[in-house]
Amino acid sequence: MPRLEDLPDLTRQGMLNFPAFDHDDAPCAVMSKPLTEAKIALVTTAGLHLRDDTPFSGGDQTYRVIPSSTPASGIIQSHMSIGFDRTGIMRDVNVTFPIDRLREMAERGEIGSVTENYYSFMGAQRSPRRIEEETGPEVGRLLLEEGADAAFLTPT
Amino acid sequence: MLARAIEETGLPTVTVALIREHAQRVKPPRTLWVPFPFGFALGNPDDPPFQQKVLSAALGLLSENDTPVLAEFTEDADAPPVLLQASAAQADAANRDGDPADEVTALRGYYERWVDEHEGRTMVGLSGVPQRQFRGLVRHLQAFAAGEDATYDRAPEGVEPVRFLRLASDDLKAFFMEARFSQRPDDHDDELQRWFWSETAMGSLIASVASRLAEQGNEQAAWGLAR
Repeated sequence: MPRLEDLPDLTRQGMLNFPAFDHDDAPCAVMSKPLTEAKIALVTTAGLHLRDDTPFSGGDQTYRVIPSSTPASGIIQSHMSIGFDRTGIMRDVNVTFPIDRLREMAERGEIGSVTENYYSFMGAQRSPRRIEEETGPEVGRLLLEEGADAAFLTPT
Repeated sequence: MLARAIEETGLPTVTVALIREHAQRVKPPRTLWVPFPFGFALGNPDDPPFQQKVLSAALGLLSENDTPVLAEFTEDADAPPVLLQASAAQADAANRDGDPADEVTALRGYYERWVDEHEGRTMVGLSGVPQRQFRGLVRHLQAFAAGEDATYDRAPEGVEPVRFLRLASDDLKAFFMEARFSQRPDDHDDELQRWFWSETAMGSLIASVASRLAEQGNEQAAWGLAR
């Protein structure tokens, strides 16, 4: 987001008042190999999914699987909020979900490879307890089973 | 929050964050804050080198393990900080008296060209109604906005009427925007929003649908359609 001090009052307050959950420290898992050998996963909270998958509704805390081989044309977004400008994602889904960029990095040898599957959640969650306790950890475990070495997360 | 949950399973994560103040509170393990608005996490659409710069900066943080790590990407992208909404755009509305169904017909060629030129990429498709049937969808929205007891025969099974209005309106918005991309490739951001909300009859119709939803007590759905 632009620096909040540059935004109009109402917008800035809306951002500051959106529930965020305070923590004093952060967990840490250490990547066991260099980036050039690592298998990278992509996870988003932009409400993206395969064209024929079930659209997200507001507050939906389940996830959708997007195979990393999916062409950009196979992806659609059901995070329909008009709190943000969707025209960037309409033009180029990579602006939020860099599916082509990661493929190119793997081809150039800048990362080792990509996981077979990517994962997507709905954004703008006010009370994401189920993601925190159930569906989020589930995606972590699924990615570890696929041999992921790290995950790159993007917001809406 | 999601990053923390995934990291706790043993998988290292790095997150792009749009609101620095939230990242400071939530403390994802590794965060790259970027100064872009929602919907532009990697900066600019159709700009692979810029996107790559953000992506590389983020992945570079994976080798840092003194969590929480909060780094900043300081280069600005093109999108304006605040999205132009319907009420602001319509305040200086010019000509919105046409028939939205005729606009659909007029824009269809542009829309189809957009899809053809982008290997089938489109954000149209949530309602399940093929774009060739959008004239009928417009009639449904018009009937609803006019206060009639409107039902749409070809709505997907199990989708509530209010939810269907939401999905249908969003499909029509995406159809109009993507048509406009190929009609006026140099228009971006506010120019697109201003065109849709103040110059098209469709923008006017969707605002009317939102008003009727609000009158019925569906304020949340109305707020999601036009504000």
